[in-house]
Amino acid sequence: MTEVGIKLAFTLAQIAVVMGVVLLTVMVLTLAERKVLGWMQDRMGPMEVGPYGILQPIADGLKLFFKEDIIPAGANKFLFSLAPILAFVPAVIGFAVIPFGPGNTVEIFGVEIKPFVISDINIGILYILAFTSIGAYGIILGGWASNSKYSLLGGLRAAAQVISYELNVGLAIVGVLLLAGSLSLVKITEAQCCWIWNWFVIGVEPGGWVPITQVFAFVVYVISAVAETNRVPFDLPEAESELVAGFFTEYSGMRFAFFFLAEYANMVLVSCIAAILFLGGWNAPAPFLQLSGNLMWISGLFWFTAKVYFFLFLFFWLRATLPRLRYDQLMRFGWKVMLPIALANIVLTSLAAYFFPRG
Amino acid sequence: MSSKNLRTWVKTIIFYEILVGMKATLSHLLHYKPITIQYPHEKRTLPDGYRGMLALLRYGDGTEKCVGCDLCEAACPSRVIKVVSAEVPGEPTKRYAKEYYMDMTRCLFCGLCVDACPVDALGMTREYEWAVYDKRQLHLNKQQLLAIGDRSFPIREKNLELQHPNVAFFNVAFQHMPPKEQ
Repeated sequence: MTEVGIKLAFTLAQIAVVMGVVLLTVMVLTLAERKVLGWMQDRMGPMEVGPYGILQPIADGLKLFFKEDIIPAGANKFLFSLAPILAFVPAVIGFAVIPFGPGNTVEIFGVEIKPFVISDINIGILYILAFTSIGAYGIILGGWASNSKYSLLGGLRAAAQVISYELNVGLAIVGVLLLAGSLSLVKITEAQCCWIWNWFVIGVEPGGWVPITQVFAFVVYVISAVAETNRVPFDLPEAESELVAGFFTEYSGMRFAFFFLAEYANMVLVSCIAAILFLGGWNAPAPFLQLSGNLMWISGLFWFTAKVYFFLFLFFWLRATLPRLRYDQLMRFGWKVMLPIALANIVLTSLAAYFFPRG
Repeated sequence: MSSKNLRTWVKTIIFYEILVGMKATLSHLLHYKPITIQYPHEKRTLPDGYRGMLALLRYGDGTEKCVGCDLCEAACPSRVIKVVSAEVPGEPTKRYAKEYYMDMTRCLFCGLCVDACPVDALGMTREYEWAVYDKRQLHLNKQQLLAIGDRSFPIREKNLELQHPNVAFFNVAFQHMPPKEQ
């Protein structure tokens, strides 16, 4: 009883911390995106609220909170209310299996606990893939339930796009799973200790010498992740120049905010997964850059955060650079370029792993 | 495969064009020179000959320059101006604008009325912050237009050599006149 109670209390505390950090990151991201985009386009970004506009996310949040909540005439009220929740919950629920720092256990009141991962389940990556698929339902249902042609078109596009690119995400990570021999994100990260060439993007076995590189899978994953989160240049579901705002055209106030939060939380999530699968998670590029002993978690958290923010910056960078793809280009790129590369990567990785077996 | 084809193929698979574009955006981020002017806090310098809000002008002694000839009304392409001309009381040969209206909602700031005026009674100021909540506030009467002229041109007299030849004539003619307001 006490053991379960301590575990439950600790898990709840972890959930609270992770949710807080994720939502704080999302808040920072909304500002950072506008700032970085502005700087890249020789503008200033938000400058009015607070010094250099740093309080802009708070102002935005307050504005959205006090806005009128409109349900359009002819909308399916139940699905219209359900869709933002369906989009938001899967986006944040994925963080349950993300190891933010070293996976070693600590003992608190006689209970073994992993402090930097809420739940180290042995099918972690499958769990995330399953839940991000549910996120697509939120978009599709939101588009359909709004009773608006723009929303419906956005939802339909999202359906086709998310299905096409989720396939590529799933196939791109198979190579990594083959090399790591596990679906648990903690084990995958631990398999990439300790030098930069042990990360799966280069793919040398710890203590070995054969690079079984996953760089093609890495590129496929990053591109598909951008498409999966509906970001530029794959933002067809919310193409503002064609569809007003796509699937959330009819949403306002907090419901709109939930879609917005979901998009940014998804960005953070796919960045975390990319950092864990291909760039070694909390591992430092070299062992001497990692603090030793009990302080390892500090540098571990630092490296993980640095990698995640690198990907988030990449999202902004792509958005500042690239125009939107046409719909047929999107589909052709997904099925005729990304898919064959991902499949070939699986075959080649399997062969390499067969001839140069790892540990 | 020829070497040119090979080069294009390599450029395609490493996303060469996209990398060039991303280099451009990154260089703008690193050499950050915003062209934004934080408008209400800092204002850009206006060019010479800026055509801003219209105003009616006065002579140095405070008499109105306008002689009520209606040429500005005729010149205006948007029918902004309405002049009600009348004799100067007790002076049958002189006329002035008894009433003068401008509907600034229609004005396109072309400056044709200023060019048309034979006595330089109209001027274009450098005011441009005329956003109002009520459109009717932009229907200006003579007093308002004169007030704009007074605050925009505190020094009333132009150099004589810059003035229209007619001005000297009318100016001389009005020298001995008492102010019209009385």
